[in-house]
Amino acid sequence: MAGYRVVVGIKWVPNTQAVRFDPKTGTLIRQGVPAIINPQDLHAIEMALRLRDAYGGEVIVITMAPPPAVQGLEHAIGMGADRAILVTDRSFAGADTLATSYVLARAINKVEREIGRVDLAVFGQETIDSSTAHIGAQVASWLGWPYIYYVKQASLSNGSLRVVRQLEDVIEEYEAKLPAVISVLAKALRPRHVSLLNKLRARTERPIITWTNKDLGLDTRCVGLKGSPTIVAKVTYLPEVPRLKKVHKAENPREAARWLLKNLLSDEKTRDLIARALWGEGSA
Amino acid sequence: MPRVKCEDLCPEWPCEQPEEFKNVWVYGEIEPGRGIREPSLQMLTPARKIAEKLEGKVVGLLIGHQVTAYADDFIKYGADEVLVVDDERLKEYYPDVYGHVIVQLSLKYKPEVILLAATMRGRELGPYVANTLRAGITADCTDFDVDEKTRDVLLIRPPFAAIMLAYIRTPFRRPQIGTARPNVFPLPPRDESRRGEVILEKVDIPKPRTRLLKRIRIEKREVPIEKAEVIVSGGKGLGSPEGFKLLQRLADMLGGVIAGSRKAVDAGWIPPERQVGQTGRSVKPILYIAVGISGAAQHMIGVREAGRIVAINTDPDAPIVRQADYSIIGDYREIVPAIIEELEELKRKGPKAIEELLK
Ligand SMILES: Cc1cc2nc3c(=O)[nH]c(=O)nc-3n(C[C@H](O)[C@H](O)[C@H](O)COP(=O)(O)OP(=O)(O)OC[C@H]3O[C@@H](n4cnc5c(N)ncnc54)[C@H](O)[C@@H]3O)c2cc1C
Ligand SMILES: Cc1cc2nc3c(=O)[nH]c(=O)nc-3n(C[C@H](O)[C@H](O)[C@H](O)COP(=O)(O)OP(=O)(O)OC[C@H]3O[C@@H](n4cnc5c(N)ncnc54)[C@H](O)[C@@H]3O)c2cc1C
Repeated sequence: MAGYRVVVGIKWVPNTQAVRFDPKTGTLIRQGVPAIINPQDLHAIEMALRLRDAYGGEVIVITMAPPPAVQGLEHAIGMGADRAILVTDRSFAGADTLATSYVLARAINKVEREIGRVDLAVFGQETIDSSTAHIGAQVASWLGWPYIYYVKQASLSNGSLRVVRQLEDVIEEYEAKLPAVISVLAKALRPRHVSLLNKLRARTERPIITWTNKDLGLDTRCVGLKGSPTIVAKVTYLPEVPRLKKVHKAENPREAARWLLKNLLSDEKTRDLIARALWGEGSA
Repeated sequence: MPRVKCEDLCPEWPCEQPEEFKNVWVYGEIEPGRGIREPSLQMLTPARKIAEKLEGKVVGLLIGHQVTAYADDFIKYGADEVLVVDDERLKEYYPDVYGHVIVQLSLKYKPEVILLAATMRGRELGPYVANTLRAGITADCTDFDVDEKTRDVLLIRPPFAAIMLAYIRTPFRRPQIGTARPNVFPLPPRDESRRGEVILEKVDIPKPRTRLLKRIRIEKREVPIEKAEVIVSGGKGLGSPEGFKLLQRLADMLGGVIAGSRKAVDAGWIPPERQVGQTGRSVKPILYIAVGISGAAQHMIGVREAGRIVAINTDPDAPIVRQADYSIIGDYREIVPAIIEELEELKRKGPKAIEELLK
């Protein structure tokens, strides 16, 4: 293959705004919760597609998840990814980020053995459900590859990668030897839409393959719950913050404003603050 | 009987017993030429709490070039000891290079806990260190506790939908690693009389495989909303970016800053660094005025520590009304100008106007 092989990690996440709780057991009700591709992963897919379109090669999208996540892979194929891999096995359930990244790294190794050299692994900045931003760095650690987070532009030449990334206080440009791992800055790009033609391809060419642990052959002590150093010990509701809950229905705006200021100026917590803002230090 | 049975562990992990580990480390992120960044110093606050319960020391970690001088700051803000790797080859921060330095120190000293500030660099560095050590890491903790019997740290983080807390522990692996967002914990008071030991370490420094070509500083933004005493925050209900101009006038009168909900950020009315909530910032102003914000759980988790919350909303049934101290039910386009006018009148009349108003 001429060009570069780019692997993109994506996650099929519950659309968390719609998540409900079982008040009796205190657990999540996942059943019937609509799911989406993690929004920031669309930017990772977009960056990989742009690299392929510019330099040739192929984009392989990968996810470790239960089978319904195949919808996310179909979406990625619809955007133009060349193939996709669903990595799924009962023994992978309950994985923390270390165990998740372990399976992903070993799957990338398998791509290298069976499909060919991987030049770049691309991830989204973080997910909307648990938002750890761990996976990219952990995959880099397992693979022994260099990594750069928060990338907003990337280009390739002669086996090396050039990126621009943005942090709180700086914009930086780096060069990295391939293979490497990057994560894409949130909202960095304008992800393309699914095209009908590509979607049709997903139906006819069947570019989505499934690997289970039969294919990967990983020690079951290293995956899923058993391979996870972190354990969720318990989950509790956040206690409600006590608030005064005084309500004023405004008939007349000036009167409503006076009601508010009266309250704020007779309230120990805010009185001095307002006085200081209006008349300066020492007026309180 | 040993707590960790080696035959149960993934063979890719080292088999170690928790008792071999002691002390609480805080990684000090450096602002080149300036010193330790404040979010790292803030981590000394939870580190002290954990160290007291574990009867261990708080150890600061400094990595870079010409950073030894900053050890003193670490101690004055509460570290008992500082571990320094000061080397010219560490002049530039590369996460895998710095990561390997921390990993080697950790293999030698065996800390029981490592805390990092969840700045963008900390979020990049932490998981690499943890993974290379085959240790667990919990992101964006909002609190820490200790199970004194097992010496497990409980790393507490807000999970789904912002209404439940998850308590995470790593019973079979050490060090226990956690991060927390800037300004979640206060900066400990600086104590000029504190003294502590500074240990200079030498470790192998791998060659970087990435190379910095260029760096441009971005203008430091004005008052970060996390530090403001008054925040006037706008939501979708403003209906347009012009609404924020009105909110800015109110904020100016009160010596405050403006912020917004995610919908306001998504609409492009206000920049992302001013978003309040689960995927934005947690703020603790004395006064939080929420205008045209419905009060979704993901928003309200960011204002739990606000002194007083004022809501201005057309809908008496909006969830925020049940979670505010003072709510005005009305159209902000009338209410906010009226508040500004009343404030201007008070300002003109001087402090004695308070008595008149309170009559
Ligand atoms: C409430 C809650 C809190 C949690 N907290 C922690 C914690 O603090 N520490 C911890 O170790 N685990 C934690 N977990 C477990 C963690 O959610 C899973 O391991 C998850 O699969 C990956 O983490 P993430 O969603 O944070 O991904 P991130 O690291 O935020 O994602 C970065 C990139 O990696 C990609 N990616 C993530 N998962 C996969 C996958 N399965 N396949 C392909 N690509 C993927 C994402 O799409 C994204 O592009 C938590 C789980 C829950 C439910
Ligand atoms: C994983 C996840 C993370 C999230 N993180 C965040 C986060 O960090 N921060 C955040 O804010 N949200 C977050 N959200 C989104 C959150 O769930 C809500 O959708 C969002 O907070 C709603 O924004 P809003 O209150 O501005 O808009 P809306 O919910 O649309 O509310 C608008 C309000 O304005 C009122 N209004 C309308 N016209 C007027 C008027 N003329 N005068 C006065 N009031 C008026 C309406 O009555 C209504 O109450 C997150 C969601 C998810 C799923």
